[in-house]
Amino acid sequence: MPRDWAQNVSGAGIISRLQRRTTALLRRSSFERNMAEEMRLHIAMEAEELARTRGLSEAEAMRRARLAFGGEERFREEGRDARGTRWLEDLAGDARYAVRTLLHAPGFAIAAALTLAIGIGATTALFSVVHAALLEPLPFGDPAHTAVVWSGSFENSGSWMSYDEYELLTYEPRVFDAVGVYEDETKSVTGAGDPERVHAAQISQKTLGVLGISPILGRDFLPQEDVPGANDVALIGYLFWQRHFGGDPSVIGRRIEVAGRQKVVIGVMPASFRMPLDYDERGATELLTPLAATDSDYGAIPGPAVAPNGGSHGLYAVAHLAPRVTVEQANKELDRVTARLTAEGIYTGPTRFRMTAVPLRQQISGSLRPALLVLLGAVALVLMIACANVAGLLFVRGERRRRETALRAVLGAARQRLTRQFLTEGAVIAGVGGGLGMLVAWMGVEATRAWAPRSLGLVADVSLNSGVLAFALVTTLGTVLLFALAPTLSATRVNAAESLKDGGRGATVSRARLRARQIMVVGEIALSVVLIVGGGLMIRTVQRIMAIDPGFRSEGVLTMELSVPPSRYAGDVRIAGFFDDLRHRVERLPDVQHAGAARLLPLAATIGDWGLRIPGYTPPPGENTPGDWQIVTPGYFETMGLHLVKGRWFDDRDRDGAPIVFVISQRMADRYFAGRDPIGASMKLSNDSAQMGTVVGIVGNVEHNGLTSTTNPTFYAVHSQFHHSAQFTPRTMSLVVRTSGDPLALVSAVREQVRALDSQIPVAHVRTMNDIVRSSIAKQRFSMLLLGAFGALALLLAMVGIYGVVAQLVAARTQEFGVRAALGASPTALIRMSLWDGIRQIGAGLSIGAIAALMLTRLMQGMLYGVSTSDPATFLAAILITGAVALVASYLPARRAGRVDPASALSAG
Amino acid sequence: MPDRADLLQGTLDLLILKALFPAPLHGWGISKRIRELSYDVLQVNQGSLYPALYRLEDRGLVRSSWGISPEGRRAKFYTLTAAGKKRFAEEQANWRLFTTAVEQILHAT
Repeated sequence: MPRDWAQNVSGAGIISRLQRRTTALLRRSSFERNMAEEMRLHIAMEAEELARTRGLSEAEAMRRARLAFGGEERFREEGRDARGTRWLEDLAGDARYAVRTLLHAPGFAIAAALTLAIGIGATTALFSVVHAALLEPLPFGDPAHTAVVWSGSFENSGSWMSYDEYELLTYEPRVFDAVGVYEDETKSVTGAGDPERVHAAQISQKTLGVLGISPILGRDFLPQEDVPGANDVALIGYLFWQRHFGGDPSVIGRRIEVAGRQKVVIGVMPASFRMPLDYDERGATELLTPLAATDSDYGAIPGPAVAPNGGSHGLYAVAHLAPRVTVEQANKELDRVTARLTAEGIYTGPTRFRMTAVPLRQQISGSLRPALLVLLGAVALVLMIACANVAGLLFVRGERRRRETALRAVLGAARQRLTRQFLTEGAVIAGVGGGLGMLVAWMGVEATRAWAPRSLGLVADVSLNSGVLAFALVTTLGTVLLFALAPTLSATRVNAAESLKDGGRGATVSRARLRARQIMVVGEIALSVVLIVGGGLMIRTVQRIMAIDPGFRSEGVLTMELSVPPSRYAGDVRIAGFFDDLRHRVERLPDVQHAGAARLLPLAATIGDWGLRIPGYTPPPGENTPGDWQIVTPGYFETMGLHLVKGRWFDDRDRDGAPIVFVISQRMADRYFAGRDPIGASMKLSNDSAQMGTVVGIVGNVEHNGLTSTTNPTFYAVHSQFHHSAQFTPRTMSLVVRTSGDPLALVSAVREQVRALDSQIPVAHVRTMNDIVRSSIAKQRFSMLLLGAFGALALLLAMVGIYGVVAQLVAARTQEFGVRAALGASPTALIRMSLWDGIRQIGAGLSIGAIAALMLTRLMQGMLYGVSTSDPATFLAAILITGAVALVASYLPARRAGRVDPASALSAG
Repeated sequence: MPDRADLLQGTLDLLILKALFPAPLHGWGISKRIRELSYDVLQVNQGSLYPALYRLEDRGLVRSSWGISPEGRRAKFYTLTAAGKKRFAEEQANWRLFTTAVEQILHAT
């Protein structure tokens, strides 16, 4: 077999060929003219020859010459192909043609492009979110082998570690090769520009090593700096460095004042730096100091021994797994250690503490994972609907153009050529749709950044990165193939004779083709039902959570956090004095009804428990008498609108030196004072130095640790009296102010009062109580908004789909309707007839959708609260809404059936 | 038409080069020449000549110019280039090698 010419091209040949092609491109029209002339000449010469040699008539000779030449159009196409520039010209030509024809059908083009934009945009935006939360590498050295270790107690599985447990980890289990512990709090920093409250952590020396993070400037802490008395060094966060030192590299060695103590800056952390638990409201830690802890600080026993009940639990622990050890193995080992301790009788009762290692990824975004995957599923459904719709639109278009296609096929246009042209048209739509889609994606990502609450951790950090863009590109290309290729193949596989014979009326639709579209619409309606049920379940969940009585009235309450430094507020009296003075000053402001302060605000920070001694109550063997400890000033209860069950609130009589008083929660009254009146009863904290106090009031339960979490027994102590119970007075308190007007309008007036008392006290976390409540259920609200939005999008797209199908059906039956109208059928009867087709699909779609939703919503189990995955009301509502919308969408085009004019419908045949 | 053979895939280019080897010809002339040379045995759609010609021109094996035909008409004449002549010699040798080999196979006992 002769070699193919095309494969033998020398290097020099390429250059000259390129030149020829360039000229060929430039002289395209002259090439076309020459080619036509050349072919005409050929046929003429052949005819002359035939006439001369065979003695044929001129006409007969011409006919035979044409026959011998073959299809002129085909050879012209091939001739253009042969010139090599063909594809470029075609592309430009096809694109021009595509834009022109699309402009002739703007409705089609707009519907298709918008549908694609929504599909692509929603997919990209959500994929960005999923990427940020689940796929983006975490800013730690070896996140896969690093874990947060919790010490569970009671029904809480994730609680702080004790120092003894930390020591145990470093001595006993061989599953970790390094362990670090830290505490965090908000600290005041002065001496570096404006005083500021920053999120600070005190870390044990190995902590940064465990996390695999090193400072970008300066150095990590040295072991000798992590001992009491030597901890006068600090590492600062990147943003803190920028804010206070303008990114000056000579910051190393400078001094800052942290909570009134001088610290030397020894390093700057990277911009991406976060501690593993910084993925919530508080944001990144900006200041690190050595923990410099000793066993005695935490009531622990030196060495591997463990104090009875483990001592004080207040540390976060991070650990790096030893080589070839999995988290599962580590947890088995931790269980074994706990079992051994229990067997040794260290715990006075049933095991109170149980250590668990949670891998970083799971710790940071584990709780979001199910919701995000469900949402990703939802957005995939929307994309599917979008593709089905565009495919449907192209089907209709393909049908309308069957005559054009057939005619061109007869005239000799190659099938590939036609397919390619339709593909180009698809590409133009996909290009516009894809571009708009990118815009939608960008807006979606920006909106998420702006609105996603910080408590959603990584979600708020979402950005439209290159990987996600690539994903969008693949989506776009996939969509083009999906919708452009399939219908064009069927549209070009035309039987020319048949299409031309039936007069080429655009609306002739074969049964099989129509069935395909009907099935698509049934699918769209079903998918809409699934999404709307999903969104509905989340709405119900949020409603149920919002309906929970938190135990306080959040509207009209302004909050802010303040902390007094030890340097100027040494001693319990001065600390409490500041907050009492501030409270009295703020109470006198216009529009302020009440003011108070508390150690921790409900729903904003988790409260821990403190062991109690309550004369008259004996805990069951092996149990203690724990109560969540809340420290408040007088005025707090009234400001927060708590419910007084019995007795009285704290007031200004309850001061330092006056009899010690407590208010207890209803839950505590029920649990520890069963069968007697708590008012007037005595109780004290379990530490030996604590003084006995008297219960003066019972307050309704407050859902402090989350609306849906367990309600613990809680006691309230007076701020100024607390040192008689625990030998310290909390320095950091949240001021709460109730107003009759807009709480945020008070901010500057309250700040003014703070400044008037002490200009060096920074104010942090200025929020309304309503904001705090809202952000505590941010996860559910976020899922609700997204699923709801996707449900609405799906419904909109399904509407377009069903409208198209019914419109097509009505057009196809115009002639039939004309006959029926001529025979006396009323317009109403005709509308009913054409509606019937739509109704059958709607019915099928609704039933399939309900069944699919029943199966799929099970995946949402963990996201729901107070509503079952098969909630009948939600299902019924979703079916009714989808059905009603679908009915309207099919009624609109069906009306046309009633307006068919018999005369014109019949004459068109 | 049992007495006429279809062109083997790829041989049309070779035939065109052969027809053009002695002297430049216009399209119809090439087609007539091939018919004559093959004693009307080879049957080809005359139109298919043109895509083949444009392809050869694109590869620099022939070049074309407009001139006046012996019949007194304005026509496009095709001339073999040096590369075309070289290619013709190569392809002719290839073809002979190929047909000899096939002949041998067919005559083998």
